[in-house]
Amino acid sequence: MLTIKGQPTGRFCDGVTRRDFLKIGGLAMGGLSLPQILRAEAQSGIRKSPKSVIMIYMAGAPPHQDLFDLKMDAPLEIRGPYKPIGTKVPGIQISEHMPHCARIMDKLVPIRSMVGSLSGDHDSHICYTGHSARGVPAPPGGWPSIGSVMTKLCAETGKAVPPFVGLAPNAGHPPYGSPGHPGFLGPACAAFRPNGVGTSDLALNGITSDRLADRQALLASFDTFRRDADHSGLMDALDVFDQQAFNVLTSSRLLDALDVTKEDPKVRERYGKGDPKNYGDGAPRNNEHFLVARRLVEAGARCVTMNFGRWDFHARNHSELLTHLPLFDQGYSALIEDLHQRGLDKDVAVVAWGEFGRTPTINQDGGRDHWPRVGCGVVAGGGFKTGQVIGATDRLGGEPTERPVHFGEVFATLYHWLGIDLATVTLPDLSGRPHYLVDGWLPMKELI
Amino acid sequence: MKLTHVIPACLLALVAAAFGKSASLQIEPAGALSLRGKDARQQLLITATLDDGAVRDATHKATYTATPAGIVSVDANGVVAAIADGTATISASSDGATATLAVKVEGSANLRPINFANDIVPVFTKAGCNSGGCHGKASGQNGFKLSLLGFEPDEDYEHIVKEARGRRVFPAAPENSLLLLKGAAQVPHGGGKRLDPKSADYALLVRWVAQGMPVGRDTDPKLASIEVLPRKRTMALRGEQQLVVLARYSDGAVQDVTHSALYEPNEKTMAEAGEDGHVALSDQHGDVAIMVRYQDKATVFRATVPLGAPVENLPAPRNYVDELVFAKLKTMGVPPSPASDDATFIRRVSIDIAGRLPTLDETRAFLADADPAKRDKLIDALLASPEYADTFANKWSALLRNKRAKPADAAGTFAFHGWVRDSLRANKPYNEFVREILAASGDIAENPPAAWYRQVKEPQQQLEDAAQLFLGQRLQCAQCHHHPYEKWSQADYYSFAAFFGQIGRKATEPKDREIIFHKRGVATAINKKTKQPVKPAALGTGPLEIAPDDDPRLALADWMSNRANPFFARAVVNRYWKHFFNRGIVEPEDDLRETNPPSNPELLDALAERFVGSGYDLKALVRDITQSRTYQLSALPNEHNAGDRQGFSRYYAKRLTAEVLLDALNAVTRTPGTFAGMPPGTRAISLPDNSFNSSSYFLSVFGRPDSSSACECERTQEASLAQALHLLNAKDIQEKLASDSGVAAQLAGDSRSDEEKLRELYLAAYARQPDAGELTLAKTHLDKPRKAADGQPLDAAKGKRLGYEDIVWAILNTKEFLFNH
Repeated sequence: MLTIKGQPTGRFCDGVTRRDFLKIGGLAMGGLSLPQILRAEAQSGIRKSPKSVIMIYMAGAPPHQDLFDLKMDAPLEIRGPYKPIGTKVPGIQISEHMPHCARIMDKLVPIRSMVGSLSGDHDSHICYTGHSARGVPAPPGGWPSIGSVMTKLCAETGKAVPPFVGLAPNAGHPPYGSPGHPGFLGPACAAFRPNGVGTSDLALNGITSDRLADRQALLASFDTFRRDADHSGLMDALDVFDQQAFNVLTSSRLLDALDVTKEDPKVRERYGKGDPKNYGDGAPRNNEHFLVARRLVEAGARCVTMNFGRWDFHARNHSELLTHLPLFDQGYSALIEDLHQRGLDKDVAVVAWGEFGRTPTINQDGGRDHWPRVGCGVVAGGGFKTGQVIGATDRLGGEPTERPVHFGEVFATLYHWLGIDLATVTLPDLSGRPHYLVDGWLPMKELI
Repeated sequence: MKLTHVIPACLLALVAAAFGKSASLQIEPAGALSLRGKDARQQLLITATLDDGAVRDATHKATYTATPAGIVSVDANGVVAAIADGTATISASSDGATATLAVKVEGSANLRPINFANDIVPVFTKAGCNSGGCHGKASGQNGFKLSLLGFEPDEDYEHIVKEARGRRVFPAAPENSLLLLKGAAQVPHGGGKRLDPKSADYALLVRWVAQGMPVGRDTDPKLASIEVLPRKRTMALRGEQQLVVLARYSDGAVQDVTHSALYEPNEKTMAEAGEDGHVALSDQHGDVAIMVRYQDKATVFRATVPLGAPVENLPAPRNYVDELVFAKLKTMGVPPSPASDDATFIRRVSIDIAGRLPTLDETRAFLADADPAKRDKLIDALLASPEYADTFANKWSALLRNKRAKPADAAGTFAFHGWVRDSLRANKPYNEFVREILAASGDIAENPPAAWYRQVKEPQQQLEDAAQLFLGQRLQCAQCHHHPYEKWSQADYYSFAAFFGQIGRKATEPKDREIIFHKRGVATAINKKTKQPVKPAALGTGPLEIAPDDDPRLALADWMSNRANPFFARAVVNRYWKHFFNRGIVEPEDDLRETNPPSNPELLDALAERFVGSGYDLKALVRDITQSRTYQLSALPNEHNAGDRQGFSRYYAKRLTAEVLLDALNAVTRTPGTFAGMPPGTRAISLPDNSFNSSSYFLSVFGRPDSSSACECERTQEASLAQALHLLNAKDIQEKLASDSGVAAQLAGDSRSDEEKLRELYLAAYARQPDAGELTLAKTHLDKPRKAADGQPLDAAKGKRLGYEDIVWAILNTKEFLFNH
């Protein structure tokens, strides 16, 4: 049908079952073209959900106890020099270096008890898939990231903006530059990377738009090969993607979304600029990515991922943090406020986190080391129940004491929110074995 | 009725066939029916034989009576239920024909004693409680765990009856058992309502709890096999078929489990199967199999759904392939497309065998050749060419996971690729090829196939890869539980793993070059379930006794090479068939399980038999396939076969793979490709390993596999926006088009007429001549006045060059170019 191979089973994003799909397509006449199928979908009242997800990977893992979970009862060598401040929500306190987040705490949900990183390795894998990189062997082909899953299950064909856009540029440490892998879903579900190799394909290369139009007309008159030579639907799919590509090249909708100069200067100022250069072998602290992410979901992208900074402060944790935290506070809070102001807060969910937490005890270099036992994250938008804190750690910030939240639970929440039935939807790996999207995790009752 | 006027004639014929007078009616299960116990049921199967000899299911259409009344009841769908002891006669009537069945009811006052594994567990499976998305997953759901699909009844009994201080069952008031309250959603249940309180299954559970949750006796019969009625049938488009599933137990008893079994079609666009075993077909012809599962047994119902069009003027068969394909097409009533023309054929066979477009010279010579044997000659020439070895080495190298994970692996990946290519070029018998890989020992430098063990490290990966790649058996599931669609158990899995249990590795200098050897000792593997060591056993054989000094991998290779091996030859001929036809006789090509039957079993058997008989000769296999009329049919459908997806009544067009497309693009633009560290002009199809994917965006975006699995499916054929953008607008491709030494510059500067040059271009890209319309279009485009980017008119020569660039660009983006057809 719509997807030719590796047909997922179960309930899709829009609440349509596979069987419904078959009724409108396969069982109809067996020979519908893709545009016909799309029309049939529209006629039978199937509407793709407009919901989008923005995932922010704080590369290298930020110190949870210096952001959302300050440990004032702990001794100085653990609590560090930072002070907490009150927030818009009485009773919730966060770092003094996040005044913007404090001001909009009613729109946020800090999670103080993120668990699930088995390895303590630096890897965006768990932040983008919800599955640990180690432990249970990965399925052949590897776990797909959320953007790839959404491409497979939720994407509309024929739009001028790709369903999954990854803003992360490549980084010296490759996982810090990953926008999330497609895993066993393969390159057709990979992120579109405006910073990557494919970027140059977005703008016309050495030809004018008149010549492109000329070529398009020429192609249309040459490309008369009988489409019924192929019964798999692939030729029709290629036609649809060609049309989409011409839209991208001529409508400039995607390029416009990527171009922050098209934005009101006041809004740009609110987000800040940051620094587009990679921070060491990490990701850039590019505040404009927050703005681009919003512009992309507004333009129709379903999942936008971005990587921010390099939070791996094994030395001089607290001074290094000041190179990151204020920029993050500004850009992140601007994104959340902007989504609210534009009425997108119910349709866009935003998650920001690192791969694990950091050691309670500050080491001899003034740094904090890897601490996979607990970390932090922050969720916003999505129409979730915001203005609350989920989870808690002990006095030293070393172990979760309340409501440990596995990464997979947040993914379960997002998929559920997108309308994907976690109990029935499976995707086949490269050995053909069907996989549920999350390892049995359930949507978080606290959020929905 | 006015409506009949608008029904097309063909439909009328169908309607007449479906509702015509039945010549006779048959009731199954045949003989006399005996129902024992209060809850005994039996699904009947009523089959009508029509005047024209066609056989149709009438189970739901028939009307039923039972005389005398009060002994049994029969519902509209043909389900017989016992009421009271005695004998009765059931008669079923449909379209004027009647059949009768004697039935005897005994012990209707008595409930059958319940056996937990035989009677209760299947209820959970049918209701989906123990599925992998719910309580059946390894971690259970909300604290309650069942074994996946009920494969471990002992554990289920423990969890239901004993765990959590027995809170899930309440014998004093069975209906208040948590198990039932949750299952029927009378208290909040995350999984919703799975059991209807009015259903027989619910009643059974109530009774089981009321009886004090009997586990059954050790002497109770065990499920021995299941049988589906009918096993195969020829059905009409949009036809229906009720299935009957009978379970046979170790004591010889037979029980109807139609309503407890699970049903799943392999072609979901062809058939739907209801929970009660009722199959409804779509309007698509072909073969469809309905997998039937009950407890740990699986079987299959096969429906053949002919199109019924006249099949006349079949070409004379060239070989056994044609005989068997054409026989099937005749049965199916699907007339094949006509033979492909020479231009189509040379392009098709060059791509399929040699992974490249034919050269201009080759095409010209072939088209001009009047020899009737020229297609055979071409096939032989291609098989003798080094490009044949490149093409298939590229395929095997990915499946054998010849992956460069780090730069130091290069020596090994180059050596392994070279060994694969040389083996194919020399046409090494396939069984020897596999043996040399499986039993590889020593150092990669002196014995390159040992590289397989470098990439495929763990015994479990080795057995899973070997089974999937060489035997078409996907054993992965059986690592943790009985295979849900297959006969393979965990014992089979670990016994197979034991072949790889004595592999030794010795580090050498340089460090990455391990030496693989057989560690002296008796090979075993620990069965994860029983925690007991098991000896090596191949699939379907008993445990083998292998002396400590003997390498068990040789025993495995011997078993594979045995002429009678049911998997080995079939797996590879099916894989090769798919390479050429874009669809396996079994699909997917490496999933040859019993419940996924071939669309043409005789063809698969004949190919395998012939392959074994030839001494596992791969080139002979390719020759048999490509010489066939079947392979040489046109891809374009006739008025009947557009819907044919598995009968091979035409060539199924396929997209060029990443490597072939890149090479073709380089050939047509006359700009050779470059790959880091490889000599200039190296073709993508001959690259030794996956490492070039990261430096070539083209190869990665078009889905060249990364050699990380033994599955062909790693090579994705799906379309994407990134591919479209790249092909339409990549800087690299634009540079090739605009290159001073490229085809556009050459043609623009060439003194021949535009028509001659266009003919050459068409020949290079499509291996055919342009038609008059295409020539006019192209010439009009070339002659158009052009402006430079600054708006100034361009001189004619410069303008013509741009015109050629546009035409080449357009050709490269046509479906005719992008597909092999």
